[in-house]
Amino acid sequence: MKFYKKTSYTEDFRLFRDGAAAFWYALLGLALVAAPFVLPAYYLSQLVLIGIYVVAGAGLMLLSGYCGQVSLGHAAFFAVGAFTVAVLEKHGVPFLAAFAAAGALSAAVGFVIGLPALRLSGLYLAIATLAASFIVTEVIVRWEGVTNGASGLNVAKIRIAGWIADSEPKLYAIVLAVAVAAMLAVRNIVRAPLGLAMMAIRDSETAAQSMGVPLMRVKLAAFAISALLTGLAGALYAHKLQFIDPDQFTILVSIEFLVMIFIGGIGSMHGIVLGAAFVIALPQLVAVAKDYLPAAVAQQSGLQAAVYAAVLLAFILAEPTGLYGIWRKIKHYFSMFPFYRKGSLRRAKSFAKSETW
Amino acid sequence: MAVLSVSDVGISFGGLRAVDGISFGVEPREIFAIIGPNGAGKTTLFNVISRIYEPSTGSIVFDGRDITRIPPHDVVRAGIARTFQNINLFDNATVLDNLMLGRYRHHRSGVLRQTLFTPFVRREKLADRRKVEEVIDFLELGKYRDVLVAGLPYGVRKIVELGRALAAEPRLILLDEPSSGLNVEETRDMVFWIQDMRDDLDMTVIMIEHDMSLVSAVSDRVLAMSSGRMLALGTPGEVQRDPGVAAAYLGG
Repeated sequence: MKFYKKTSYTEDFRLFRDGAAAFWYALLGLALVAAPFVLPAYYLSQLVLIGIYVVAGAGLMLLSGYCGQVSLGHAAFFAVGAFTVAVLEKHGVPFLAAFAAAGALSAAVGFVIGLPALRLSGLYLAIATLAASFIVTEVIVRWEGVTNGASGLNVAKIRIAGWIADSEPKLYAIVLAVAVAAMLAVRNIVRAPLGLAMMAIRDSETAAQSMGVPLMRVKLAAFAISALLTGLAGALYAHKLQFIDPDQFTILVSIEFLVMIFIGGIGSMHGIVLGAAFVIALPQLVAVAKDYLPAAVAQQSGLQAAVYAAVLLAFILAEPTGLYGIWRKIKHYFSMFPFYRKGSLRRAKSFAKSETW
Repeated sequence: MAVLSVSDVGISFGGLRAVDGISFGVEPREIFAIIGPNGAGKTTLFNVISRIYEPSTGSIVFDGRDITRIPPHDVVRAGIARTFQNINLFDNATVLDNLMLGRYRHHRSGVLRQTLFTPFVRREKLADRRKVEEVIDFLELGKYRDVLVAGLPYGVRKIVELGRALAAEPRLILLDEPSSGLNVEETRDMVFWIQDMRDDLDMTVIMIEHDMSLVSAVSDRVLAMSSGRMLALGTPGEVQRDPGVAAAYLGG
C-alpha cells in the first residue's frame, strides 16, 4: 500500500503522479520505440491502427468523456480528415501542409456541427450529430469532381521533404509521434482550467454557467478540438490503407469510436489507449473464435457487430468504469493484499448519473 | 450608495406572475435577508439577479453597471457569486476541483496556451490554488480536499458549495437557504461564516432563509415576500412585527 504525501501544489496537476509513474511511462515509451525492431510485421501493422484509433479516441474522449457531449458523428470528422489529405496530396500539396489542412478543416466542420450542441443534449444531440455526419458523407459521395465519389481515392505514401514513409516502421514512427502528441494535448487540456470547465459542464450546466463558464465557447472549443484530433486520425488512416472510399466511414465507425471510449473507461486518459487496443483486437479475436463456433453461428455476417453489442452491454451492467476500472481494481487488490474488500474501490458512476448520458 | 439596486423587477411564466414589482437596494457590507413562505418567488428573484431568468420588467444595477441583460456567465465576472437551494456541485470531481472551478472567472489563458500547458498556465493554476487554500482554511474543509463530492454528507456539500462561491472572490454573494439541511452546530458555524464574510472578506451578503433565529442573528435588513410581491422591508424586528407578514405565514 502506497501513501501519497504531497508537499507542493504542483503535485496535483503534474504530468506524472510520482517518480515511479514516470519510470513506468518511460519504460512503456522505450518498448514502443523498440517495437518495430522486435515485432513481426503483422503486429506492427495492428499497432499502427491502434495508434490511429488512439488519436481519434483522444478527440472523442475529450468531447464525450470529459465534456459530456455524446457524438454519433465522429466518422464524419474521420472522413473529412482522410479525404482532405488524399485530395490535397493528389494535387501535389506536401504531406505536412495537407495534414495540417486536414486537421483545420475537420475542426471547422466540428465547429459547425457543434452549433446544435448549444441547444441540445443527450440523445437529441447524438441524433443531431448522426444526421450531420450523414450529410458530410453524402457530400463526399456527391462531390465527385473533388473526391472521386463512391469509387474512392488512392493515397500515396507519406512524403516529408524527400523522406518517404515507404515501410510499416516508418509509418509507425509518424503515427506514434502524433498519438503521443494527441494524448499530451488532451492531458494538458484536462489539467488546465478549460478541462475543468468541460467537466463542470458535464456535471451541471447551471452551476458551471453561474461560476463564469461561457457554455457556448467551451462546448464549441470541445467540438472543434475533438474534430481536429479525429480529422488528423483520419488523415493517418488514409495513409495506412492507401485507398479510401466513403463506405469506410459509415455510422459503424462512429459507434466503434463510442464503444472504444466507453469500454476503455469513460473520462479517463488510460481508457483511450485501452479502448483503442480493445477495438482493434476484437475483430481478430472474433476471427479466431469463428474456427471453434458451429458453422451456423460462425457464418452470420453480423457476428462481429453482435459481439460488440454483447461486450458493450456486459460492460454497462458489470463494469461501467471500463477496462481502466478493471485495471485499477486489480492494482488495488494487490496493493491492499490481503485486505481487499468488494466495496473498497467504489467510484462514482459518472456517466450513469449525469443527465447527458 | 447602494451596491445592488433592484428596481421594479417582475417576471411571468405564462399567466403566472412569479415576481412582481420588486424594488430594493442593498448597501455595501450589508447582510440582507429575503424571507417568505414557499412559492413566494424568492429563488426566482435570485435566478433573475444571476441572469438564469430573463426579467419581464425592471432593471438590476450592480456597482453602477446595468446587469439586466448581460450573459449569465458574466454575472460572476461582474462580482456576484451564488449558491443553490438544492446544492448544485460537480459531483464527479473532488472538493478541490470544485473550488478550483470557482476561480474560473480569473483566468486569462486561451485554448492554445492551455493545450501546451505553458508556464503562464502553470502560474495561474498555482495562484488559484493559493486562493483556494485560503478558502479551505476559512471553511475548515482541509480533510475533504481530495474527496469526490458525490460521496460527501449533505452538510459538507453545502459548505463546499459556499466555498466554491467564495473562491470566485465576489463582492456580492447570494446564498439560497444556507442553513437548510444543516444541524444545529453546522448552522452556528454558518452564522459565524456569514459574519466573517462581511467583516473579513468585505463582502455584501443577500440570503434567502427560513430559519428566523439565523435571520435575526445576522441580518441588517429583511425583505419579506409573498406571492411574488413585497410585503415588508426593514430591520428583522420591524418585519417580524409587521401584520402582513404574520398573515402571510399563518393565513389570515
